[in-house]
Amino acid sequence: MNNAPRLGAGNEAPRPEATPDEPRSLKWRLLSSMAAGFALLLLLMSVLLWNYSRAASNRTFDLLLAGAALAMLERVSFNADGPTVDLPQSAMDILALASDDRVVYRVFAPAYGEITGTPDLPLPAADPSAAPVFYNDKLNEGFRFIVQGRQITSAAGRDWVFVQIGQTLNARREQQGTLFLYGMAGLAGVSLIGLGFVWLAIRTSLAPLGTIAASLLARNPRDLSPIEGAPPQEISDLFRAINGFIAQLRRSRALTESFIADVAHQTRTSLSAVQGQLALAVDADSPEAMRARLVKAEAQGNKTVHLTNQLLANAMVIHRSDQAQLDPMELRPLVRDTLAELLRDRRLREITISYEDAQLPDGVGRIRGDAISIREALRNLIDNAIRHGGPENSILIELDGDTRSIRLTVSDGGPGIAPADRARATERFTSINRDTAGSGLGLAIVRSVAEGHDAKLELGASQLGGLRASLIFPRLAALLAALLLTPIAAKASELTIFGATDRAAIEPVLDAFEAKVPGWTISYREFQTVDLYDAVLAGEGPPDVVISSAMDLQVDLVNRGMAQRFVLPEDSQPPDWARWRDELYGFTFEPAAILYNKRILSREDLPNSHRDLSSFIRDHEAELKGRVGGYDLRRSGIGYLYATQDLIQSVQAQRLFEVLGRASARVYLGTAEMTRATGSGEIALALNVISSYAMALVPDHPDVGVHFLSDYNLVMSRTAFVPKTARAPAMAARFVAFLLSPEGQSLIDRDTPLIPIAAAGAPLTDSARLLRASSGSFLPIRLGPGLLTFLDRLKREEVLRSWDAAMAGNGN
Amino acid sequence: MRMLLVEDNDELAETVLDRLRHEGHSVDREADGEEANALLRHARFDIILLDINLPGRSGYEVLRSMRSRGDSTPVIVLTARSEIDDRVVGLDAGADDYMVKPVDFRELSARCRVLARRRAGASSNLFTAGTLRFDRAAKLAFVSDKPIELRAKELQLLEVMIDNLGRMLTKEEVADKLYTFRESPSLNAVEQLVTRLRRKLEGTPLVIKTARGLGYLPYVSDDE
Repeated sequence: MNNAPRLGAGNEAPRPEATPDEPRSLKWRLLSSMAAGFALLLLLMSVLLWNYSRAASNRTFDLLLAGAALAMLERVSFNADGPTVDLPQSAMDILALASDDRVVYRVFAPAYGEITGTPDLPLPAADPSAAPVFYNDKLNEGFRFIVQGRQITSAAGRDWVFVQIGQTLNARREQQGTLFLYGMAGLAGVSLIGLGFVWLAIRTSLAPLGTIAASLLARNPRDLSPIEGAPPQEISDLFRAINGFIAQLRRSRALTESFIADVAHQTRTSLSAVQGQLALAVDADSPEAMRARLVKAEAQGNKTVHLTNQLLANAMVIHRSDQAQLDPMELRPLVRDTLAELLRDRRLREITISYEDAQLPDGVGRIRGDAISIREALRNLIDNAIRHGGPENSILIELDGDTRSIRLTVSDGGPGIAPADRARATERFTSINRDTAGSGLGLAIVRSVAEGHDAKLELGASQLGGLRASLIFPRLAALLAALLLTPIAAKASELTIFGATDRAAIEPVLDAFEAKVPGWTISYREFQTVDLYDAVLAGEGPPDVVISSAMDLQVDLVNRGMAQRFVLPEDSQPPDWARWRDELYGFTFEPAAILYNKRILSREDLPNSHRDLSSFIRDHEAELKGRVGGYDLRRSGIGYLYATQDLIQSVQAQRLFEVLGRASARVYLGTAEMTRATGSGEIALALNVISSYAMALVPDHPDVGVHFLSDYNLVMSRTAFVPKTARAPAMAARFVAFLLSPEGQSLIDRDTPLIPIAAAGAPLTDSARLLRASSGSFLPIRLGPGLLTFLDRLKREEVLRSWDAAMAGNGN
Repeated sequence: MRMLLVEDNDELAETVLDRLRHEGHSVDREADGEEANALLRHARFDIILLDINLPGRSGYEVLRSMRSRGDSTPVIVLTARSEIDDRVVGLDAGADDYMVKPVDFRELSARCRVLARRRAGASSNLFTAGTLRFDRAAKLAFVSDKPIELRAKELQLLEVMIDNLGRMLTKEEVADKLYTFRESPSLNAVEQLVTRLRRKLEGTPLVIKTARGLGYLPYVSDDE
């Protein structure tokens, strides 16, 4: 309702008033933001000022307390009964300088008790001494206290006497308030003056905008000359933009005017010719003469039709280059489709047509373009090639390019255009060869399309003998193309994974992922955990994904800032303990277990807690000598992880080291070896093995039993991260997401010896069922900086030293 | 042939009608999209010439409702717009061909013939073009009434070409139509096959034009 009449009443209100819907003026924006700034500043200052005035008023009034205390202490003396004080008037006088405040005081000596004043006033936290101690405390209202002491010589020796004085806070508060108010008033005044200056500054700096507006308003609509003036730097862009716009308007008006003139001339001339032939036909004496005239009229009519079509095409192309937005597009299908359509033209039947796009780099011809205009240009180039190509014509269409441009070329077998005439050939209504002339617009249309695409039109001599016309488009930035066409970008189609997991174990997952992403292959390199850590630190590869069971080493790599952040979908998130910083994700659930040879040991004999475990080995030292197995802590990252996590859990771990040493424990690098050794009876017992692996091997080693303790069993999770140096980070993240997706997890459950971390669904395998049964005692190792403690150099040396010592002390 | 012209401009319609009737076709005319649509619901034609800017209902809508009824009568769209967009020829509307006005009558007749032949080739068992006769049911081809010897793949290729008269076929498309997934032919094999078939068709008006890098265009040369 408000706007409608105003728009109509242009004469009365040349500049519409600001309505509530319109954005506020620049002045108001600047001023209000400055005011908000000042207000914020004042708020900050007030906090500072408040604290400052409290400190200042305390300082002032503490002097009163100190003076009074000194005065009192001076009057403390000794008599026969002990210390006494002759309370000086001056002390109270000094205190009375703060006239509205209540005072309490007390003199006391530790050796003699209260001497005078209000007994049992609150004492400070610190022991009182000869130096004054100030503090606040509450009686029935807030008080400020001083306690100060002095040693006095008595008959028995030297004794301490203390004076304590308290004063309410009224004077201080008043002083604080006054200081604060004065300070704030000053600051507010200065701020207001500052805002005044800001207002002035805003007004003067925005004045040039008003000048521009006035000069544009005063302008006659036909006046398309640039605005004159020297604008300040900040609005020179606006100034240039306005002038650029005016120039564009001027150019486009000039074009329109010349186009209308050309069209009027050309169509009138052509129509006159038709009309003339028809008039002659009407007046013809004989039917033969009339027929001859009509044939000519028809030919002229066809020419007029062609001319009109070309004029409209030209107008359309120019209009589109002004209006149409250029979209990213693939040139190859457009060219192929256009050619397939043009080929139906019966004029092309006797002509040899070839198309060639094998030279196109990567087979991709992405540009920013307008399909309709480009189709029109290609149609005109081919029309020219047909028209001027002579009787034994052949036409070659090529699409090729380099890293920066895409070239669309049409060559024909006609006489071509002499170099001197080439520049002229692209002008409107210019035909170089009168015998084969068309409308004289073909190349002009092509040139307009080129101009609208920031492309170049090049005319040259073709190898077929005729004209070679090329449109050279700037190629769409290679990066963008790679993003849009990831599956086609051939070079990055290998995903490199560095893993500390047996290839055989993880292969089914790799195969399934490969099947999901056609065109990609996975290259998997297998490492020991510590070697993997070293390789990644040394910058080998670079891998796209790093997978390891040594959680601490993985955390260390991530803690060094080597991993990229990526977020997994909602249904693929592992539990809290198995992810860190959105960079490191655990995807398996692998408890440590004890393996034993069923023929040597029976389940009933086995210990049930870590404490019993040490005792068990010690008690059976003779039978178990050389027949207990464990990880080599120096070379196996997972072994070290389990051992140090045991150290955190209980002191038993340290004892276990010694017991293992005495029992001449044997060390191994991996679970598989330990399982085999246990199965063959070479060892009777293996500690802290990865149960998932072991259980997968149990069918081959029927004598091997898996045993869990009842106090706790550590749980490790195999973790994956994507290094910042990854060459295919998006695909790498997709792979990790796949590992954790419901599909990937059930695949891990079904087809690999690993145990998935997601508890969803029924357990499919025996091992998973066994794990479920003893799930209460599982203690997952949490990913996070906590795992870094034992990676500390000194700490690690200490652990390994005590392990070495234990192992060396075994008497071998 | 029985044709329907849907065109609202009387002068243009008159010339087209005269021309087509002169060539011996029986042609009906509708000036209104709505009425054309109603007519098409119960009447059958061999070819429909359809203008786009129509009173009542636009040519696109007429075409779309035809196709949604399952009516596959060949349609040539006549349009005065020069910006031909994919709506015309694309799967969306499903026109078989289009021409931009003003239309050259000879070209229009030729296009009608191509469509008619393609339709006849697909729907009846006997295809004739000049001296060439092909019996689809019996799998026999005759040149000047003499049977020519064609191998199985050559027969199949001939069938494909007849079904796609006037249409560009890429080499890959031809291979797809000729070979099963398991046979995995080389594109070279397709080339050799086309060369052999072309030699056997020499002297007939059925031409298989090769456009290097693009594919093959089969057409009947006496359709001029």
